Amino acid sequence: MAVQGAPRIGSVAVTGVWKEYALASHRPRTLKEALVGALRGQGAEPPRSWALKEIGFTIEPGESFGIIGTNGSGKSTLLKLLTGISKPTLGTVEVHGKVSALLELGAGFHPDFSGRENTYLNGAILGLTRKEMEERYDSIVAFAELAEHIDQPVKTYSSGMYMRLAFSIAVHVDPDVLIIDEVLAVGDAAFQKKCIDRIHGFRRDGRTILFVSHSHGQVAQLCDRVAWIDRGVLRALGPSRDVLSRYEAHIAGTEG
Amino acid sequence: MALLSTHPWLAYREMFLGLVEREVRARYRGSFLGFLWSLLNPLLLMGIYTLVFSVVMRIQVPNYALMLFTGLLPWTWFSTSLTNGTASITANANLIKKVYFPLEILPLVSVSTNWVNFLFSLPVLGVFLLAKGIAPGWAMLALPVLMAVQFALTFGVNLILATMNAFYKDVEQLLGPVLMAWFYVTPVVYPVSMIPGDYAWLTYVNPMAPLVVGYQDILMRGAAPWSPGLFVAALEASACLMLGLWVFRRRKFVFAEVI
Repeated sequence: MAVQGAPRIGSVAVTGVWKEYALASHRPRTLKEALVGALRGQGAEPPRSWALKEIGFTIEPGESFGIIGTNGSGKSTLLKLLTGISKPTLGTVEVHGKVSALLELGAGFHPDFSGRENTYLNGAILGLTRKEMEERYDSIVAFAELAEHIDQPVKTYSSGMYMRLAFSIAVHVDPDVLIIDEVLAVGDAAFQKKCIDRIHGFRRDGRTILFVSHSHGQVAQLCDRVAWIDRGVLRALGPSRDVLSRYEAHIAGTEG
Repeated sequence: MALLSTHPWLAYREMFLGLVEREVRARYRGSFLGFLWSLLNPLLLMGIYTLVFSVVMRIQVPNYALMLFTGLLPWTWFSTSLTNGTASITANANLIKKVYFPLEILPLVSVSTNWVNFLFSLPVLGVFLLAKGIAPGWAMLALPVLMAVQFALTFGVNLILATMNAFYKDVEQLLGPVLMAWFYVTPVVYPVSMIPGDYAWLTYVNPMAPLVVGYQDILMRGAAPWSPGLFVAALEASACLMLGLWVFRRRKFVFAEVI
């Protein structure tokens, strides 16, 4: 799987990443509060905390990599760094190639516009040109099973239809790195199976998959290697089976 | 060779155009009625100010209603852009927290959408002008220059206000009174010639003043708009744009954490 030399499209390198978060409750929320705080001589050094501490790992092109951890462990913070939405305080995050994240489902849909209009705009938001969208449009609609409703406003859609369309657009972005944030509970069982099949298809095509979850079932099924994040620290990194069994033991220990 | 993510700039251009198209179409949904609706605000203001200043206070200005309308259109572009643009980051929190894209697009969409509305309202102004016997002249060729200066100014101020509003949620509430004060120091409801000499400096501090005067010169008098004030306004607009981009880019990677 290792590819010699640069650039290696589909590779991910996270090196010495620390991420600091200002505690929201101590930050002035309005200009008025900020002014009052300044007059009272407050607000100089807000208390800060580390959401991630010294995180480092590399992912080879074509690898299926899992990130696991309980809620509040820092997974979503790491995800935001990987998608480029925020920047690490220290260290570097390098993702080579086109990224699509399935945490973006339906972001930017406008309820008053039709499925067709939303599909084109959502495609552009996810980084597809109009030409690319035109090539993929029929396939997107077919995958979402929405041919009859595509010209109706999205506000008339059921939540299942809405998610099916959003998922279908996201998997048609055709990324080099696909980031999945436990959103596989889309639609009914049949559609879920279609989604899983699609993701396995990505894997067979040699795309890099980054799967973020707090439950081990799908991670075990999908991932070669797993990183376990616990309270902002990388607790374990290695083959899925080893890391998942340690994670399971830890969960059982804290809960039992 | 792709270093880091290969950002498809073409796609972002299409995202920008798609968002502008969506905003414009959302406003004109229901076709012609929607268009009239967007004109209602400046028309209503024109009626009210004409009643107050021309009928009640008997201000002696030729073509007062027309002067008002000519000034109200660019002012509406400016003020509505700022109102939308200031909230553009906070209003799109859901998108910003989930998808990576150049966030400058959002305040840019606010300015552009309202610019399109401004362009759509120009023919209506043209009809009013023709009704008063004022024909369009060569001076119209200078319109793009005025619009470019106003666009840069509005986008720059938008970037600053959108950044502030991401951190301090009351900026958008404070904007209303500020815009009202700004409106009254801009020669829209009175001609610039009525400003007393002691206060003439205001027209240099406020870049909207020479812009509004410029539109009136071009459209009502068929005169070239060039003035020292406009030159200063162009410098101020450039400074605003550079400051805005600098402030916004320094802060934009924190937006997802604070909104």
